[in-house]
Order: sequence, then structure tokens, then C-alpha cells
Amino acid sequence: MINREPTNNARPQQPCTRYRHKRREFFFLLISTSIFLSACMTEERSRALDDPAVLPKTLALQVCSNCHGVKGVSTSPIFPNLAAQSKIYLTEQLKSFKAHGRLDPEGYEYMWGISARLTDEQIEGLAQYFSEQSPPLGKNLNENQLIAGRTIFEQGVTANNTPACGSCHGPKAEGMQLFPRLAGQHADYTKKQLMVFRNTDQRPEGALMKTIAHGMKDEDIENVAIYLESLPPS
Amino acid sequence: MNSHEKPISLFNYWHYKILFIFCNFLILSSVHALPSFARQTGQNCIACHAGGQFPELTPYGRLFKMTGYTIGDRGNPLAVMAVASYTKSATPTTDAAFAKDAVALFQTGSVFVAGKITNNVGIFSQFTYNNYNNQNTDTNQWEGKWGSDNFDLRYADRYIDANRDLIFGFSLNNNPSISDPWNTAPAWLQYVPTGFGVTGADASPIITQLGSQVAGTGAYIFLNQTVYAEISGYQTANGSFSFLSQGIANTDQTKLKGINPYIRLALSHDWGPHSAMIGLLAMNTNVYPDNLTLAGPTIKYRDRGVDAQYQYLLDPHSVTAQISYIRETINNGDITGISANASNTLNQLKMKASYIYRAKYGGSLSYFSTTGTSDNILYPDTASNPDTRGFVPELFWTPVQNLRIGAQYYRFNRFHGASNNYDGSGRNAKDNNTFFLYAWGAY
Repeated sequence: MINREPTNNARPQQPCTRYRHKRREFFFLLISTSIFLSACMTEERSRALDDPAVLPKTLALQVCSNCHGVKGVSTSPIFPNLAAQSKIYLTEQLKSFKAHGRLDPEGYEYMWGISARLTDEQIEGLAQYFSEQSPPLGKNLNENQLIAGRTIFEQGVTANNTPACGSCHGPKAEGMQLFPRLAGQHADYTKKQLMVFRNTDQRPEGALMKTIAHGMKDEDIENVAIYLESLPPS
Repeated sequence: MNSHEKPISLFNYWHYKILFIFCNFLILSSVHALPSFARQTGQNCIACHAGGQFPELTPYGRLFKMTGYTIGDRGNPLAVMAVASYTKSATPTTDAAFAKDAVALFQTGSVFVAGKITNNVGIFSQFTYNNYNNQNTDTNQWEGKWGSDNFDLRYADRYIDANRDLIFGFSLNNNPSISDPWNTAPAWLQYVPTGFGVTGADASPIITQLGSQVAGTGAYIFLNQTVYAEISGYQTANGSFSFLSQGIANTDQTKLKGINPYIRLALSHDWGPHSAMIGLLAMNTNVYPDNLTLAGPTIKYRDRGVDAQYQYLLDPHSVTAQISYIRETINNGDITGISANASNTLNQLKMKASYIYRAKYGGSLSYFSTTGTSDNILYPDTASNPDTRGFVPELFWTPVQNLRIGAQYYRFNRFHGASNNYDGSGRNAKDNNTFFLYAWGAY
């Protein structure tokens, strides 16, 4: 009869010992499979912000969309709509975040880190991607505020020499080069940025807006922001 | 006071010297003092945590977690955390729960290894030193101990375009529901726990008691940022998985029979600054009654839960609310002697509402209720019932994003089935009312 007992005085394996070995095998299989799958993955679905090989569209979908939406229209008004914004404006803003030029809270809390290691090519590509998206639809909001906001947008505030917004941002607020598109932008975001321009020096790249927003009352800011959010695509 | 202990003066006690220096360091280095995830993304804590209120996640924070902690750059994964506290009970007794009543403590410190490993793999792991882990039976001195705390190793991928958004992943973790991205999950619906004083019901569903005791592997999906589904299996964290339960003595560890399923479903919707979720969870757990004899019949726990969360996040205001209800049935089968009834039920309700202004000044109000069937072996006090209810108001201040100072007051309406004389010796529920002051810091 063949002796099937283990040699070297080893005890026969108990069931729990065998299962323990299986668990160890399973665990290492899990880890090695994960690493293998990761290694196989191309940059096609990467969320790396420090890899020049990752395409701008991939970054837009895998990272930027978390806040700004897949098509550049964000759900939360914390984050601005980027869709149909001019390419040059988006490029300059991303470069400003990267260089810590924008000091407003929304700028440094969210965007300094995201933009820190993007290459110029990735920045250009991201700006291109979002500039090509369809602009956000306008919202129907409070009629009285719309009328007051429209007056400011089209005529400015003569009492304090605030010029008409449309003179730089376009007659339909569609934006012009470095002057951003405002039509359809979240009212809360526009309001916060006007407050930043008026009350602080946190956006030196928008120094011109400090002069313009200087005389605007809180009510003016609220009304024009709501009017701008109501504007449909031009 | 024990004869081996000396009165503690805040600034001649070495723990506090370290803490004092640590806190000053945090304040001085505020903007750059970011734990490892924040360093990885370069973002402020409020990007991922609602109103900066840890650990509750924002919609973006949930996506960061579900995509396997892989957004950003791979960097230094180390971070540290410390909690100092002061607990004062209304009527302390000689019970060990009150051993540090009205004493300022350096209670716990943690080291995290957390961050991106590859483009698809990330980790959130925490090892905690409990400065008051146990009391030496010979010297009566408290002894500290390191142990495995939270652990979540993930593989995740995401297929996203204009028409679909599918996130899926796998998790190896050591606590049922720690993988969950919402704060209503049993593993997350608590803040700054203390080992002293009375801060809740003694009885709680098994799903809330398995942290650092078990090993689980599971898979999840999040479809179109709307439907979340997860299925996992949990077993005892021993053998190859014993690193997940480091610090738990074999004699103290809950031992499960085989693989125990955990299922989670949730529906999520974001609109404007609002975010809402409603979910279900279920877990079946078979536990050996004698954790040193892993054979024979088991106690069968069946936990079924429903939960919901609402968030309004728009600077300067953050409003959040959570509700979680778990109903547990416990079936002892052929096991006798551990309870009077062959089967029991236990119901746990937790609700919490918070408001935070400018991610700095906050307050919350919680309500907790644990009820169930009466059983004079499980619940030996007069009423033989687990009924424990109360409120917890809290105020907190976050002067910099890495430091939070808060005060909570646990106000009990009922305890162990009664409001008055619950133990037959004249102790009332309100005698357990507890004031808890804490300073929490991370770097």
C-alpha cells in the first residue's frame, strides 16, 4: 500500500488550512489581475493629470465632466458652464489657474490642482473640446428681474457709469475672444464672479471688470446675472 | 482616581505638547496642509467633502471614490490624523466607560496610506493607534495599541461619452458598506467616535460591528450617475486577510461562517445645487456563537436597510440630511443559552441634519433610536429591552481645512428600555447624558 501520508512528520492538512491557501491564492490573483488590467489599459480612459500622453478629450470626459458636464453644461452652479465658450478665453483661464493667477476661492480650491501639470497642448485641446460644444439653453426666470437685468446688459447703469455688458461680451452675450460668453451661464456663478471683481483683487486678469463692476449694487448684480442665465443660444 | 495615575495638566503632559505643536503647524501651513488625496488632486478638501465636513462626500467626492481614487497625480500617499477629546458624563460611575470622565485625552492617532496606485487602482487604508485600547489588569494603566482601521483597495474603470456613463469597479475592504459613496452607510454615519462616555445604544445591528474584523471582496457599478449597485461577500479576516484585522485579538474577533453576502442598491439624482439619494441594503451574516470553536450551528443575522440623503451645496451654504433605518432579525436556530427567544429583532434608526457656513462654522442635530424585541438574556436590565433613544446636537468650527474643533451633547430620552430606573438601582436615562469636546486634525 502506498503511503499517502505527508513526510517530514508534517501533519495532514486540515480543511481550514487548505482553504487558507486558497484564500491566499485568490487574494494574490485579485491583486495581480488588477495590476495586469491596469498595465494593459491605454491612456484612453486615464484620469491622470500629469501624463502628457493623455488626450484632452479623455481628460474632458474622465475628469472635467465630473463638475462641468460631459458637454460642458454643469449641473451645479458652483461650476461654470464651459460649452461654446471661446477657445482663447478657456485657454487663458486654464493657464491663469496653472500659474496661480486667479486667487478667487473657486479658482484655487478646485482648479489650481487640476491644471497644475497640464501641458500647453492639453490646455489647447481642452479649450477646443469645450468651445465646440452646444451652448446651454437659457432659463425662464423672474420676469421683473429679467427686465431690470436686460436694461443693465443693454444700456449699462448711467448713474455710476457702468457700461453696457453687450458692448464687450457681444449683443447676445455670446462672447468675443477674451471676453467670455455669458449667455446661459449659471446666475449664481456670474453673481459670485461679479462680486469677486467688485470687492477684491483676486482676478488680476480681469482688472478691467473691477472698474466696470465697481459701481454696481448687489441688486444690479443679481438682476443682470439672472438675465444672462435666461438668454438662449444665439 | 486610580493611584497609579497622576493629575493631567494640559501643557506639561507630553501628548499635549505634541498636539499643541501639531495644531500650530497645521495653522501655519494652512493652504498647503493637504492630506494625501488633496495632494493628489491639488484640490481643497471641500471639493470632495460637503462643506468640508468629513467624511461626508460631495457628488464630485463620490465620483472620485467610485473611480478608484485615481484622479490626479500619483504622489506621497502618507497622511496622518489625530483626535484629542474631553468627555464629561452627567453621572459617571465606576464602570470602565467612565474611566476618563472629565479628563482631556489624546485619544487616537492614525496613519493613512491613501492614493492612486495605477490609472485604475487606488487605495484608502488607515491604521489607527488607540491610546486607550485596554487597561492592564496588573497595573491598571491604560495601554495603547496599533490596529488596522479602514481599508478599501479598488480597481475601477469608466466608460463615458455623450450618451452613457458607466463606472464599474472591484473592492477589497474590511467593513461592510465602507465601499459605499454615501454617508448614510453604516460604516460612515458617525463622526469622531470616543471610547469613553455613553454615546449611543449598546445594541446595534451586526453590519455596524464588523469593521476591521472581516475581509470582503465585491463589485459595483454606477450607471449614468443615477443607479448604483454593489454586491460583495464577507468572510472572517484571518489567514491571508489577517492584515485587515491587525490589532484585533483572535479571542475578540467575530468569526463568520463562509462567505456572507452584502447587497446595495441606490438611486441618485443631482439638480442644480441639490443632490438626493435613496437606497436599500441587505446583508446576511452567519456568526459562530463561540469565536474559538469554528464549527456547528451559527447565529443567523439578516440585516435589511433603507436610507436616504439630501445635500444642498452652494457656497456659502451647505445643508445636508441623512436618514438610515436598519431592521435586523436574529435567528439562533438550535443554539441555546445566548438569548431567551429563539429569534429576535433589532431596529436602528439614525437621522442627521447639518448646516455649515463658508465651510467653517457648522452645526448638526442627530436623532438615534434603537428598539427591538425584549429578551432577558440579551438585555439583562429591568425592562429586558434594547430601547435607547436620544438626540445629539453638535457645533463645530473648521478654522483651517485640516483642523476641526467640535462639541457634541448626547441627550438620552430612554436607555435599555426605560426612561427612569432602567437598571433597577435608580439610574435614569439622562444620567448617561454626555458632553464630548474634540479637536480633530489631519495632515
